[in-house]
Amino acid sequence: MGRLAGKVALVTGGRGGIGRAICARFETEGAVVYAADLSEAGSLAAPDGASRFVRVDVSDEDSVTATMAMVAEEQGRLDVLVNAAGIEIEKTIEETSLGEWNRSFAVNVTGTFLTSKHALPLMRKAAEDGVSASIINFGSYDGFIADPGLAAYCATKGAVHALTRAMACDHGPEGIRVNAICPGYIDTPMLQSFFTGDGSGGGGKSIGELQQAVRDVHPLRTYGTPEDIANLVTWLASDEARYASGQLWVLDGGLSAQVQQMRI
Amino acid sequence: MRLEGKRALVTGGRQGIGRAIVEAFLREGAEVVTCGRGGDPGDLPEGCGWVTADVSDPAQAAELVEACGALDVLVNNAGVQVEKTVVDSTDPDWELVIGANCRGVFNTCRAAIPVMRDGGAIVNIGSISGQQADPSMALYNASKAFVHGLTRSIAVDHGPKIRCNAICPGWINTGMLEAGFELAGDPAAARRDAIARHPVRRFGEPKDIAAMAVWLASDEAEFASGQLFTIDGGMTAASPLNPGMF
Repeated sequence: MGRLAGKVALVTGGRGGIGRAICARFETEGAVVYAADLSEAGSLAAPDGASRFVRVDVSDEDSVTATMAMVAEEQGRLDVLVNAAGIEIEKTIEETSLGEWNRSFAVNVTGTFLTSKHALPLMRKAAEDGVSASIINFGSYDGFIADPGLAAYCATKGAVHALTRAMACDHGPEGIRVNAICPGYIDTPMLQSFFTGDGSGGGGKSIGELQQAVRDVHPLRTYGTPEDIANLVTWLASDEARYASGQLWVLDGGLSAQVQQMRI
Repeated sequence: MRLEGKRALVTGGRQGIGRAIVEAFLREGAEVVTCGRGGDPGDLPEGCGWVTADVSDPAQAAELVEACGALDVLVNNAGVQVEKTVVDSTDPDWELVIGANCRGVFNTCRAAIPVMRDGGAIVNIGSISGQQADPSMALYNASKAFVHGLTRSIAVDHGPKIRCNAICPGWINTGMLEAGFELAGDPAAARRDAIARHPVRRFGEPKDIAAMAVWLASDEAEFASGQLFTIDGGMTAASPLNPGMF
């Protein structure tokens, strides 16, 4: 333990299904953790743990700069930024209103841009100490292949993947690494909502049957947990990953490794 | 001690990346056996096993795996490079490169998969060269694309019992890297050019790859399978017009 000892971390979406697992793990590894989200409760019951909650709307530049100013005053540096804030609208482009499209980009893409942009001065402070500062963005396996009825979401994740590479190239020489984690199917409220919403391709199946069908299509016969994602995010945040930058890290139980087919 | 209680076979552990993986695995509490075509180098850390074996030979690969007993982790690191284009490559070059890099990986996997413990992990050493071509490295580049494809097949066919992933190292400070620069008209200029193309402004060290191997071999990576994990200091994320070039 203690692999993030001495590091200051900010996790947007820190009260979401995956974000809270990241915050909990970062704390266990010795980091000072800011859980940044729209609300303290987030999408699940309030967690235990020592993360400091900070209210932020990542799509609002004033909200973002105020958050970074607060971290600057309290810590004077930022070693790790995790951009986990994201929304998912289950609609085709035809069903998506312009407002919904713009909102998806505002949170998933512009949010990543704003937090990263305004974190750079604090991350340079960490890098001055010889620290390998680390930004971890949230892409998705949906940035590579399209789940049905997730048009805006897929588009935003493709944008995050490309932005990740650009940021890695521009800021690598300053001692800042940038990567994107691309989860597959992870057991969170977002996934359960996908099972119950129109995008599930239901065809009269029960939720239990849908869940089992999804497990069966994975080479590892399971979908992932928030802790699985937290494990890789922790590695990427740690000094062991000093040579890892500019990459998309797919964690999906083997799902995208295969030519898709039913086992009949 | 992230690999406590695990038994690992790391092929090609005498030097370079393989040696760094052997040492990292031992530090993390694993029992380690390594191998190579020559005799025991005599300077391996205490407790590390050595088997003399040429993995490109199916019989030797099978004997090697059997000598290890029940494995939790297999790291296919043994590999060679030959700096030639297709036209200059000879039949012996084919046998050497395809033998070590392709057949060797296939041989050990075929022998080990049936006898690995549930939840076992295979880590193959691929390369960024398996996805983009290094000049004058035709057989090597192709052999690493083979490793990447085989990695996906093993993940698909042998999950959930086994996970299989590949690490794609970038330019790592080893003998192989030096040999590459010696090909250039001006090796010193070639090195400066290469450094400038890395967002992190340095080449990798074997321990950078070993750190990824530890994570992939550990239970933290339970949901990781069928993927390529690139450790290259940001190089392949960058276009050829990277700042610092002009």
